[in-house]
Amino acid sequence: MASNRRRRHPGIRRRNTVTGYALLAPSLFGVVCFMLLPVLVVVWLSFQSWDLIGPIGFVGLDNYRSVLSDGVFGNSLLVTILFVALVVPIQTLIGLGAASLLTRDLPGSAWFRTIYVLPWICAPLALGVVWKWILAPTDGALNTLVGARIEWLSDPALALPTVAAVVIWTNVGYVTLFFMAGLLNIPEQILEAARIDGAGPVALFWQIKIPLLRPTMFFVLVTTVISAFQVFDQVYALTQGGPAHTTDVVAARIYYEAFSAFDLGRAAVMAVVLLVVLVVITLAQQLYFRRRVTYEMD
Amino acid sequence: MKWTRTAGIYLVLGLGAAFTLAPFLLSILTAFKTREQFAGQSVLAWPDPFTVDNIVRVLAGPAEFGRAVLVTLLAAVLILIGQLVCSILAAYAFARVDFPGRQVLFWVYLSTLMIPPVVLIIPLYLMMTQAGLRNSFWSLVLPFAFASPYAVFLLREYFRGIPQELIDAARLDGANTLDVLVEIVVPLSKPIIATLTLITIVSHWNSFMWPLVVTTGPQWRVVTVATASLQSQFNGNWTLVMAATTLALVPLLVLFLVFQRQFVRSITISGFK
Repeated sequence: MASNRRRRHPGIRRRNTVTGYALLAPSLFGVVCFMLLPVLVVVWLSFQSWDLIGPIGFVGLDNYRSVLSDGVFGNSLLVTILFVALVVPIQTLIGLGAASLLTRDLPGSAWFRTIYVLPWICAPLALGVVWKWILAPTDGALNTLVGARIEWLSDPALALPTVAAVVIWTNVGYVTLFFMAGLLNIPEQILEAARIDGAGPVALFWQIKIPLLRPTMFFVLVTTVISAFQVFDQVYALTQGGPAHTTDVVAARIYYEAFSAFDLGRAAVMAVVLLVVLVVITLAQQLYFRRRVTYEMD
Repeated sequence: MKWTRTAGIYLVLGLGAAFTLAPFLLSILTAFKTREQFAGQSVLAWPDPFTVDNIVRVLAGPAEFGRAVLVTLLAAVLILIGQLVCSILAAYAFARVDFPGRQVLFWVYLSTLMIPPVVLIIPLYLMMTQAGLRNSFWSLVLPFAFASPYAVFLLREYFRGIPQELIDAARLDGANTLDVLVEIVVPLSKPIIATLTLITIVSHWNSFMWPLVVTTGPQWRVVTVATASLQSQFNGNWTLVMAATTLALVPLLVLFLVFQRQFVRSITISGFK
């Protein structure tokens, strides 16, 4: 019908074009200037040398050679992957567990849900600073309460798991919310039918609920993997990438490379690599999900 | 059996809640203690004497936290207004105006959702420096005040649910596109606008990496940057540092408790941040 009208009145079409672009203009200006242009600029900058003060000069592939040949960035990628591999599965399991306890219609469930979400809406930097004190070796809350002197943040073996634990603590409520919504969306008839067929609570959970939660699971995994890959605030507050680069995640590396080492070209190379990695992860997860869905409908 | 199972569930939920709340409570308790009490007594002890010295020192002292609160709020409000106006206009164009290139541009918008914010920090810094805006109030606001593809996406979905007859009727009465937006579309979209308002204010109150990079010195510090700089400046002076974190956290806790249901809905429909 819309196309009929358009064919009959070329004037309306022209007016729609003008109206459409006029309405879009301010937002499109922002998208072009502050999202698309910066992506081009960061690619361009990755072929330049800049120390924040002096002139910018073309250096060809030097930055790429330097970033890919020294071990610093390789270490950061490895640390980040390790971090994601710690954070995502653990917070997904805790969130799933909490959600299955909170969807049993027990009185007070809404209150628990509210409490669990609190860390998620607060500033990760401020919470990181609170945890920095809680985990401080001599006058920290945790060590004084348990009467030990554990170097949570300065022992190279403990630092990354500790930062991961703080991030998990922040994210669990978010994951819980989505699994609650997913569980509540499962039609009661399906569960009833499974119960009549003799499925116990364990079978019901693993064989009925988990498969039906796949869309939720997909959404939670995509968003949490992507955000964990970019973690910065908590690392900045807790360890600044140390000790001995054991928590030197990619976002922190980019920051220190640019604003402590004043090598913007190298920082740009790292940003380009991060962009490629995250776009590939997003697209791969999309493809995987599509395939699973069509498989399911066969 | 049934009774013990329920008790067990509450025990697990309660422990989880205690673990979630503990850092907030510890931060607030410590913020109101004297240095002497902090050094001498258990971290769990009630503040005695109860002192607001730390809060006052943080707000008015060299960290200029009071100023940081104002800068953060003003920046967040300007970003909010800019994003809402631009996104409502764009979302209406995508939802209800049939213009050539609409499909392609919408895909461009969707694909920008894949760009990680961290990647934009370095090029935006270069652009702001070239524009002479580094370490200015506008450098905090401009990059975010025009476009939020996310808001456009959510608003478009919502606008598509508004009955076309309402818009056609207003058209027949001689309303132009702006009239339709102001008199019909926006009033009918209050819930989604409220959601976006919460999301935008919260995420810009919390934002850290960009303000840290683009500002130097106390002039245009935002709350998170002021907290971080206070922590490095008064390292180990935990009563003072916890006063800063308390000031950064409590406004959001209050906001959350007041708008609890809207917040929970906002997170589930948008998956922010």
